[in-house]
Amino acid sequence: MTSSTAITALPSRASNSAMSPSGMWLTRPFTERSTRLFLGVLTLALALVTVLHLALPEGHALHVSSYTVTLLGKYLCYALLAVAVDLVWGYLGILSLGHGAFFALGGYAMGMYLMRQIGDRGVYGDPVLPDFMVFLNWDSLPWFWHGFDMAGFAFLMVLLAPGLLALVFGFLAFRSRVTGVYLSIITQALTFALMLAFFRNEMGFGGNNGLTDFRELLGFDLRSDATRLGLFLASGVALALGYVVCRGIVASKLGRVCVASRDAEARVRFLGYRVERVQLFVFVVSAMLAGVAGSLYVPQVGIINPSEFSPLFSIEVVVWVALGGRGTLYGAVIGAVLVNYAKTVFTGVMPDAWLFALGGLFVVVTVLLPKGIAGLMTRRSKPDNPTSLKEATP
Amino acid sequence: MRITRYLTLWLLLVALVGTAQAQQDDPARSLLEALASASYAAKGEAIDAIVESGDARSRAWLEALNDGKLQKNKKTGQFVVVLANRGRNWPVEDALSGEPLGEMSRRELDRIGINNALRGQLRSTLAVLDLYVDNPDARLQAANDLLGQVDEAMMAPLNAVRDQESNEAVRDRLTEALAIYRLEQGDPQAIETLRGSLHPEARAALNGVVAGADAKLAAEAKAALSGIEQTLKINRGVETLYFGLSLGSVLVLAAIGLAITFGVMGVINMAHGELIMLGAYTSWGMQQLLPGQPGLAVILSIPAGFLVAGLAGVAIERCVIQFLKGRPLETLLATFGVSLILQQLVRTLISPLNRTVVTPEWMSGSLVINDALSLTLNRLYVLGFALLVFAALMLVMRRTRLGLEVRAVTQNRAMARSMGIRATRVDMLTFGLGAGVAGLAGVALAQLTNVGPNLGQSYIIDSFMVVVFGGVGNLWGTLVAGMSLGVINQVLEPWAGAVLAKIIVLVFIILFIQKRPRGLFPQKGRAAEG
Amino acid sequence: MSLLDALADRDRVFDFLVPAASPVDVRHGPILYLEDVNVSFDGFKAIDNLNLTINDGELRCIIGPNGAGKTTMMDIITGKTRPDSGEVWFGSRHNLLTKSEPEVASLGIGRKFQKPTVFEALSVFDNLELAMAADKRVLPTLAEKLSGEQRSRIDEVLETIGLETLRSRQAGILSHGQKQWLEIGMLLMQRPRLLLVDEPVAGMTEQEMERTAELLTSLAGKQSVVVVEHDMGFVRSIARQVTVLHQGSVLAEGTMDQVSNDSRVIEVYLGAEEEA
Repeated sequence: MTSSTAITALPSRASNSAMSPSGMWLTRPFTERSTRLFLGVLTLALALVTVLHLALPEGHALHVSSYTVTLLGKYLCYALLAVAVDLVWGYLGILSLGHGAFFALGGYAMGMYLMRQIGDRGVYGDPVLPDFMVFLNWDSLPWFWHGFDMAGFAFLMVLLAPGLLALVFGFLAFRSRVTGVYLSIITQALTFALMLAFFRNEMGFGGNNGLTDFRELLGFDLRSDATRLGLFLASGVALALGYVVCRGIVASKLGRVCVASRDAEARVRFLGYRVERVQLFVFVVSAMLAGVAGSLYVPQVGIINPSEFSPLFSIEVVVWVALGGRGTLYGAVIGAVLVNYAKTVFTGVMPDAWLFALGGLFVVVTVLLPKGIAGLMTRRSKPDNPTSLKEATP
Repeated sequence: MRITRYLTLWLLLVALVGTAQAQQDDPARSLLEALASASYAAKGEAIDAIVESGDARSRAWLEALNDGKLQKNKKTGQFVVVLANRGRNWPVEDALSGEPLGEMSRRELDRIGINNALRGQLRSTLAVLDLYVDNPDARLQAANDLLGQVDEAMMAPLNAVRDQESNEAVRDRLTEALAIYRLEQGDPQAIETLRGSLHPEARAALNGVVAGADAKLAAEAKAALSGIEQTLKINRGVETLYFGLSLGSVLVLAAIGLAITFGVMGVINMAHGELIMLGAYTSWGMQQLLPGQPGLAVILSIPAGFLVAGLAGVAIERCVIQFLKGRPLETLLATFGVSLILQQLVRTLISPLNRTVVTPEWMSGSLVINDALSLTLNRLYVLGFALLVFAALMLVMRRTRLGLEVRAVTQNRAMARSMGIRATRVDMLTFGLGAGVAGLAGVALAQLTNVGPNLGQSYIIDSFMVVVFGGVGNLWGTLVAGMSLGVINQVLEPWAGAVLAKIIVLVFIILFIQKRPRGLFPQKGRAAEG
Repeated sequence: MSLLDALADRDRVFDFLVPAASPVDVRHGPILYLEDVNVSFDGFKAIDNLNLTINDGELRCIIGPNGAGKTTMMDIITGKTRPDSGEVWFGSRHNLLTKSEPEVASLGIGRKFQKPTVFEALSVFDNLELAMAADKRVLPTLAEKLSGEQRSRIDEVLETIGLETLRSRQAGILSHGQKQWLEIGMLLMQRPRLLLVDEPVAGMTEQEMERTAELLTSLAGKQSVVVVEHDMGFVRSIARQVTVLHQGSVLAEGTMDQVSNDSRVIEVYLGAEEEA
């Protein structure tokens, strides 16, 4: 168990953290080549899409349509979610099959804000109650809907709702040292239970249909091209920030404690580290990042419903990370964008084949590509990678 | 007046019961002629006479008379039974011979009229008439129909019939029916009789008395009612337990294969649900192969389901899992991929729509325990099947060479291998066994629900919960966990609703795992830690 | 024990009065004290009424056939396994039975496992850095930056264990003996008051064994060392006091010569060794 999970090593940092000019853990990532490269490519891509969208006239061969901008924005949200999953899976060894739940909670927090922004422009014209509540003959707002008319509160909840769930769940799970497949299964049960709960009309989150018919965000019309471009760019910035936060954690001594406890948890305890607290901290950070991803996803797709809680979605996220290469962070981004691009193409051309392709991807990646695309890239650049030697001596 | 008439009726009936009488057509005709007379009083006597005759056709005549379908041809004077009285021309048959006579115009026919008094007489006569048939089940049914329907006129004949009745169940039922009437008339002794009754009619009668004017009687009735409520509560408890155990047996069937593969190989098989689905489709396919013989199909699909799912399992093990030794999380992902492929395969090759499997006759219906409790037979069969499968697996694990090797590999893979056990072969066979059991679960499930591509998905999380709850590598744990989760679910359902009950159970298990990470029946000792 | 009794008990030290990182109190003699400890797994008595006292600065060897309870004893001391009954004290102040593994470690008890467990995905340098005595709470660990003093401490240990040239290699590619050394190095970085060393020389060459013996004897005095070992030659080369465990309890205790002449020891242990 321990030896097999040790497949990924930190980028060879020798002792660069020791030579880092600043003690601030958040600035440390900028001294790494891979981070600068990632941020550079991301900035370039954002700039390119913006220019192609704004500068070229519609109908031009290279014009990026508003639809495509939103689609790319969606991919960026997925990428941020994948980075969050990679942080806990790649570095902490916790395979969460329930990260979709944190994503969806962030999305619901944003959705509730957007619902309140509709005001009296809904079908039933009630100034306070969202349409579905009027439809259910409710006469007042449930207590947990209060405050969501204020953007600041709503954005805080985007972080707090998934963060609190992760805190409570993680506290219970890590304290009693639930790890490995057990943890995976109960994270799956968690998201499944939440899905069932959110399907119920009585929960007050719109049941089956979820929350939709959004109009504006912070006063900007969600249907205008400018808002869509803005959301796309915001998703890009969120991805960049999330990436830097994760990289900062994994490049710190705490990151090395994570990797150490991934491979030999008991040993780390005997060194005096409280592994369960390390796990809890990283798990909560990861859940919050997933929540942010969900909150940016919702205004772009225009709906949030309980299907985001489905176990299938959460496990799909894991395969993005596996395809890109776990334990690298940038691999998660590559995997998320590739798989979702493939999904868009497949479901457009031959929808029936998509599940075959996805299922096949699960098998092929785990059996033939244990280190993902990132593993392929590093193998090409450094043929004498020490990590591959490790597997020869179990 | 009517009392005396009934008195004579039952006296005559009593005389008739023992004596078999050859019937002639001519006297029967005269019986019907009497019905056609103008006076209602005469008609009443004619009805009695028909009953007295003991003629096998008397029930059909009286029913037709009650429905206004016994008619007389104006010209020929022939008595006919109208089969359908819609439109101008009605299909009819001869009342005496039963021969179809084609269609007759309504104008050719004369209806034998009855009034309300006669209708009442007919109704009770018909009710009592059924108590004379030979089949005790039919008599019981007739007696059941009488509950709450007894009136003064029926008291005497019913009393007599009851004293004659040889079947205890029918006799009790008749006593109950009579007691309900007596209670309505204010007889305090009737309460004593009804004390043990669970029938809603008896409760309705008691409730009526409780609301009535007689305070003493009301108090007694109330006491009797609370006793009945107590018994009903127990019955409801038994019913909940039965449903719980039934759900539990499904969970055990679904989870036990998983428990084997997880326990022995440490492998999480996410495609387990789809192996269940394959078993269910095998059951459906077998019925397509053997149309009209659902019973045989069900029996044959038990070995077939085991083989199909088992072979699929071996294929999965050979093609995917063996390459992922010692990497449980990767195995989880890969088998999930397999599950997606299998689902889509079924959707493409068969249909995305649900299919139904016919339940053979000997499995449908229910086992009636009393008025408040009946157990559906198919669930009873599935429960028995689950226990049988469990016992068989225990035998395999305890008594066969494979079982011994499997236990050895579970406890110490390296040591088992060094003792000459081919662990890879054991893995393959174990996985095949687990998958085969999943197939059996599918065959059983096909009897309870529709068969569709999503069948497996809906059971996979529950199965995991059972395995985790019960403790890995322990078949008894799986049995206890499955059964108790089933019962807990059913106990919660009435006040929480099905969905909320499920959520509560999931949350309960999530919390339980925190307290006892190794389940109900953990493997202990140094080897288990790590 | 009721609350009143507890208050009346003058020797009792309430946990909340003991600062978490308070120094070990060895004024009353022993640094480690096990009394009447019992553990059973599924009815099998792994530890049976074990009594053991280790004095401050002592180097003690513990020998015993397989299944004698050596590793289980280590598990109890480090908080991994909880005994069914008995008492385990570190100095006269810290009741080890109320502490978790990280708490035991931060009190100053270091442990080297039977099977060398180093962090294979990390470099040799990182392995030592993680082991270093420092603030091990989450946020300080996140923000921590090595000081020059700490770096030279790591370099010092790297030299002691002879792995200077391999400092930035992944620990996973080290040889078995090198991993043993790295783990000893990690113990040194912890600066523990008490070292529990489980089979330190397994897989080492004769030369490496000599160096290990030298190292362990040099540590004794400043620190207390408990060594569990199978290799009798090695035990003979370092041991002053030897304890023989058999079926979960102490069979004999004394110098190597006393112990190896004890008839019961010869019967259960040395006899068994010949078979192997």
